[in-house]
Amino acid sequence: MATAPIEFPPPVDPEQEFVGAPTDPEEERIEVGVAIVGGGPAGLACAIRLSQLLADDEPLLESLGEVPIALVEKGKGPGSHLLSGAMMKPSAMRALFPDLPESDWPTFGTVDKDAVYLLPNRRMTIPLKPTPPPFRNHGNHVVSVAQLGRWLAERAEEAGVYILGETAASRLLVEHGRVVGVRSGDKGRGRGGEELSNFEPGADLIAKATVLAEGTQGHLTGAAIRHFELGTDDPQQWELGVKEVWEVEKPLDRVIHTTGWPLRFGAKYREFGGSFIYPMGADRVSMGLVVGLDYRDATFSAHDALQELKTHPLVAEIVEGGKRVGWGAKTLPSGGYWARPRVWAPGLAIAGDGAGMVNVPTLKGVHYAMHAGAFAAEAIYERLASSGNCDDLSNYEAKVRDSEIDRDSYRSRNMRQPFAKGFFVGGAIANMMEISGGRFPGGRWATHDDATVDVFVGDRDKSYPRPDGKVTFDKLSSVFLSGNATRDDAPNHIRVQEQVPLEVALMWQNMCPAAVYEVPESELEAARDEGNGTVDGKREVKVQITPSNCVQCGAITAKGGRLTPPEGGDGPNYQMT
Amino acid sequence: MTAILTYALHYEGEFNKNSLGAVSEGARLAGELGGEAAAVVVGGDDLTDELCASLGKYGAARVYRARAPEGLAQPVVDVMAEVIRDNGYRYALFGGGLLGFEIGAGLTARLGAGVTMEVTAVKVQDGQLVAERPILQDSAVVDVGYVGEPGIVIGRLNAFDVREAANGASAEVVDVDVELQPHSTRATMVQRGEQRGADVNIEDAEILVAGGRGLGNAEGFELCEQLADALGGAVAATRAVVDAGWYPYAAQIGQTGKTVAPKLYLAAGISGAIQHKVGMQSSENIVAINKDPNAPIFEFSDLGVVGDLNKIIPKLTEAVKAKRG
Repeated sequence: MATAPIEFPPPVDPEQEFVGAPTDPEEERIEVGVAIVGGGPAGLACAIRLSQLLADDEPLLESLGEVPIALVEKGKGPGSHLLSGAMMKPSAMRALFPDLPESDWPTFGTVDKDAVYLLPNRRMTIPLKPTPPPFRNHGNHVVSVAQLGRWLAERAEEAGVYILGETAASRLLVEHGRVVGVRSGDKGRGRGGEELSNFEPGADLIAKATVLAEGTQGHLTGAAIRHFELGTDDPQQWELGVKEVWEVEKPLDRVIHTTGWPLRFGAKYREFGGSFIYPMGADRVSMGLVVGLDYRDATFSAHDALQELKTHPLVAEIVEGGKRVGWGAKTLPSGGYWARPRVWAPGLAIAGDGAGMVNVPTLKGVHYAMHAGAFAAEAIYERLASSGNCDDLSNYEAKVRDSEIDRDSYRSRNMRQPFAKGFFVGGAIANMMEISGGRFPGGRWATHDDATVDVFVGDRDKSYPRPDGKVTFDKLSSVFLSGNATRDDAPNHIRVQEQVPLEVALMWQNMCPAAVYEVPESELEAARDEGNGTVDGKREVKVQITPSNCVQCGAITAKGGRLTPPEGGDGPNYQMT
Repeated sequence: MTAILTYALHYEGEFNKNSLGAVSEGARLAGELGGEAAAVVVGGDDLTDELCASLGKYGAARVYRARAPEGLAQPVVDVMAEVIRDNGYRYALFGGGLLGFEIGAGLTARLGAGVTMEVTAVKVQDGQLVAERPILQDSAVVDVGYVGEPGIVIGRLNAFDVREAANGASAEVVDVDVELQPHSTRATMVQRGEQRGADVNIEDAEILVAGGRGLGNAEGFELCEQLADALGGAVAATRAVVDAGWYPYAAQIGQTGKTVAPKLYLAAGISGAIQHKVGMQSSENIVAINKDPNAPIFEFSDLGVVGDLNKIIPKLTEAVKAKRG
């Protein structure tokens, strides 16, 4: 008895709603040179690189008008919606700021020691030595990507980039087969979409080139990939990471990765993932759990599994006497090489997580995003300088193909897929891949859409620890720490079918780290009564949705729903994630 | 010596509770600084001598009365800036609320002063004010001092308790004639009233009976209303039940609702998530009724009752009625 969430697709038609021609009268449209959507590493690197190039080309800069580079960011400011592990490879920072010494970077520096542990159960720890190559982090910097984003935004503003905070990009403007800009989202609408007294309509932002750097589950990126048919035969797949920042008493001296418990090894559960624990200077630690969204047990909760992980002696010792000071969650694309879409269309470039630019075995994407943003800037600059338009941005695709973004991910192109066979078989194949430099397993291992994997009501939820408010926490306390203070009467930005089988509803409830979905207790009891001792997973229930809790992680889009941007400024306000 | 200036908002012949809290706190701090506290009132003919002088009860030694449009920020900024310049007040203190925030911010900009917002407590150290301010979503509290004067302190809503001064007397009422800036008269008051038509002001209530998801359904609120009637209090609600449409938004307590600090907060069927807690944690006495003994609310209630509220509340209502006769 199991149901695939894809049988309950979200009530939304992206093509109709999210792609269209400009609607504002011509004189009211806002003309900019290049429009960038998203103030993350990709978007900001693009803005900075472009301003560097334009600084040496005054005539071209002039031709781009009053606002040569505009960047829209849906969070309160750049960084508000950014979350990552993160160990960052230094290559992109070096390329973008060649004269800046590494000691001046907005990072927590490098860490000399690495350790990888297999956790077979809730008590034991088995070190894996020597450290498997993907987890060697020598020379990489520990970063808070939220802080990195704020720092990059300051550099971009110094260089003359116009950053429009609290502004969502709600529609991709396409005219005569080419992207001509984006439309910003309305503000001040009520729960039912009605205009409140502070209503402000969105505006058409018209640009010579548009860069979508929206990050994971990009709203317009998804629509653009569909509209311009940029996708490959392999669907993108996703992992969900839940992260906490702790103030600790003892400094952590090494970068830790774990695999195994609290994820289950059995092939029927398909729980693929692991944890990371990084020192952020002497008194803070960043830790999180990442799990593939093709898992099957509807009662699996990444949020609560992370709480459970902290009860393992290895982790308990690190957080003992400490205090949780940050929390957040985010998905990351893990389809890798085969699932990476074409990254351009006429007038459009896509960079970063939205284009699936993550190296799966090493869990790294921040430097790819920055490289890609800079490549997009260079490609756009070349085209503007030579022809004055950006109808053909194949030069951007070529730069990505020629770079480490594609070289690395080609090596690990078949790494993620074998884990569908369970932890041990998958692990063995992935190890062979690593040893053989990617030659084994050869061929093309297909990826699958996470929403096509059927889910069942299991018993994973029996062992989550009861939140003690010190080491382990409930979801609402976590959401509070994310800085989310979204107004309660904002329109619902989450599109899902609300009447679904219990197993899908429960999967959403448990999957969502921010307690957006809830199956009413009475419905659950009824399903128990009808199931004669087990739970009747097919019973249709009505899901209760609290969109104001949402921290924009994007997991719902991978599992049968559709996340759209909230009103600009809503959502989390991450500080050090 | 002049020490602290506060602003007192009035409406229909009464001062706002939050403002009275600021006046009381200003008087206490001025005493410690060894100076006097004063209040500014702005409005029309309804500001009678008697009403203004009554601020003396809360420790204001002097009340500056200015004839200007009431309820708007800029005219008050004009008046306070001039009073501070002419009389050398060292600090301006606001009780919070949207108007307090706007005036405080405007005054800061006008005077080139230092400002601390969302202050939850103020103390005197080495003859100067130090404001306590929660940061990082209330996970830590920092002390903020002022490097120069005047210093502007803007409290969180209801952060300061209303206290009648021991030696409270009538305040001296001084009329001030301030020429308003041209831009200050550009906005006019069209209408005053509680947002979204609330009929009770739960922020001012001394007793609140708050209902949560545990009530079961919208009808469950009748139990709360009956109890609130018996106690002479008002009814409040959690976000979850407002979301579910069981009760109006105006009664919502918490992070995205109102912040209250009544003498008695009775929480019925409320689990006590932190989003709710931040809106009511400064209540003097917290009583919780919940069927789940593990509910977080029991960790910060003064009295916790584990049980079925459908049975307990009606009995409690009866008992209160019986006692009050």
